[in-house]
Amino acid sequence: MPGLLTGAKLRRIRCPVHNLIDFGSTPDRAGRQLELELWRVIETRPFQRLRRIKQLGFSELVFPGATHTRFAHSIGVFHVARQLVGAIRRSVADTDERQVHVAIAASLLHDVGHGLFSHAFERFGEQFNLNMAQHEHVSSELIRGGEIADVLKEKMGRGFADEVADMVKAKQPANLYASVVSSQFDADRLDYMQRDRLMTGVRSSDVDAMWLISNLEVRSVNTGSEDGQTGSVETLVLGHKARQTAESYIVAVLHLYQNVYGHRATRGAETTFFALMCQLRRLCQEERIGASGLPPNHPLVRFMADSESLENALALDDTVFWGALPFLVAAEDGTLRSLAVRLRDRRLPTYVDIRALVEAAFPPAAREDMSVRKARLARIKLTCGNVLSALDERQASTPMGERAVITDEYERSPYRRFDTGRTPMNQMHIRVGDGVLDMATVSSVVAGAEPFNLCRAYIFRDDTESRTMVMNIIRTEIGRAGHGEA
Amino acid sequence: MAKRDPHLVATRIVEDAGGELVGRTRLQKIAYLLQLAGFGDEFQFEYKHYGPFSEDLARGMEIATAFGQVQEDEQQAGWGGWYSIYRLPNARPPSDPSRAEFVRTAKEIGAVELELAATAAFIFAVEGIGRTKEGNPWAETRARKREKARDGRLERAAAQYAQLRQFPTPTQLPVLPTP
Repeated sequence: MPGLLTGAKLRRIRCPVHNLIDFGSTPDRAGRQLELELWRVIETRPFQRLRRIKQLGFSELVFPGATHTRFAHSIGVFHVARQLVGAIRRSVADTDERQVHVAIAASLLHDVGHGLFSHAFERFGEQFNLNMAQHEHVSSELIRGGEIADVLKEKMGRGFADEVADMVKAKQPANLYASVVSSQFDADRLDYMQRDRLMTGVRSSDVDAMWLISNLEVRSVNTGSEDGQTGSVETLVLGHKARQTAESYIVAVLHLYQNVYGHRATRGAETTFFALMCQLRRLCQEERIGASGLPPNHPLVRFMADSESLENALALDDTVFWGALPFLVAAEDGTLRSLAVRLRDRRLPTYVDIRALVEAAFPPAAREDMSVRKARLARIKLTCGNVLSALDERQASTPMGERAVITDEYERSPYRRFDTGRTPMNQMHIRVGDGVLDMATVSSVVAGAEPFNLCRAYIFRDDTESRTMVMNIIRTEIGRAGHGEA
Repeated sequence: MAKRDPHLVATRIVEDAGGELVGRTRLQKIAYLLQLAGFGDEFQFEYKHYGPFSEDLARGMEIATAFGQVQEDEQQAGWGGWYSIYRLPNARPPSDPSRAEFVRTAKEIGAVELELAATAAFIFAVEGIGRTKEGNPWAETRARKREKARDGRLERAAAQYAQLRQFPTPTQLPVLPTP
């Protein structure tokens, strides 16, 4: 093929979302070199591990088609990142090619540290403050050292791996190129929205990614604080012709959270997995590994014994867990056994929808003024929070894995409006004439879109006592709120 | 873990500030420094782009403004960004004068300098840079916030943090290495 590096072979992957994704066909030589090095990165053990981690964790218990992996998603993000970088190149005369390469590599590697069942493992990590269960941290460590770093250092130069790791670890974009990797309009979201919709089979949440990308340009936007301007930054901006598509994109995110990511059964399975992992950790810490049914050298046991070990984190994936299940269902410990059976047979816990019950207690008036609505929604949020606090207080002395009731709370804003507490590079901007405005300023749909909230209590005992306790607490807190105590 | 009635804690910060506080960033950073100084432990902070940030505090202030306990006035800065001014409709005397004095001093620090100071303190206290790990928290702050740290702002932030440390607080703010 003309322009191909001597001896280098063009690599291709067929993708159900983006069709053909190639490595090594980029016109410029340095870009081709990068892509071929990234192909070698894909061949490393840490990256191949992503083939064994489902993108949506337990969602396949609800959507049987959702068996796609972090591997397929990561390749897709690489592809979309290249498209976004193309928009930067069209718009910026003196593109920083080093930063372009860092952003493309970071896009491919952004999820390389994901644990088993993706985000389900992170909840367990948060409970015990485990860095090695936090995917950005593990990704960063895997990129800085080991096989991936070795590949990147060989042809991309010293320091490249660290720059990629820094970009992956940053929770907010530090510059225009980093916004390709992490922002409200990044390659990650543009891929997962399309992929998750396709694989789950939901019919809402379609996104016209090609139109959005083809309308991108780079503009300068002011930065500052409430005290004054501190400077300006270059950021991606959508042309005015993409305004409606951008609106659809934001609403599509909201619907994915409502229909897929927040599904009650999926979250129920995740909560069961969380409880099981908590109980397993407890047994290991109490040196009762035998009661778990697992051999002492099992990767799960090794991780529980040393959760700061990168190697122990790398040894975990979905298949390791499913492989452990036959041992766990035979565990001597009754709690662990019961939780394992639930996951094996999809006997998910029942739940009380706290949010729905609290909302029903504070219904909207026929014609609700905006300030009244705001106060009502705040009261609902406060009451739900107080119910969760009361449930936690009631069970404070019971280890998490043994609890009869485990709560689940989540809030997701479809779009976070620009204010002085945010960086412009995290926003979606629309060019209006010569000016640039935040999406929430341009669109009344986006400005008015309220967050998706879930607040549930999953019940792990087949008795009426636990449900009664939950219902009594809800009634008490609703009563407090109704009397203006909350 | 969810905390009970976060709106009351958020309201108290505005109360301690003398009934008015300008900016979400200022609210967050003052709340972080308050906790670091031992005035309560109500909120969990994590590192966000603008330094230490608590979702629970943001939620608490959202509820407080929705209930009208705190009035939120949104203003547009000359450079185009939006910010909030929080006011108490009925100012009350603070219940802890020493805490209030700390808040009133902190709120006079420029928003960017306060952000830099709180960030350096977080990097030192939570991330351990300059404490248990190699490095200097101010240098790390400068690396993460290059633009904001310019024009002497980082040095001013360090000086103002040192002044805040002089306040008698339940737990003395940690000594940070010089920038």
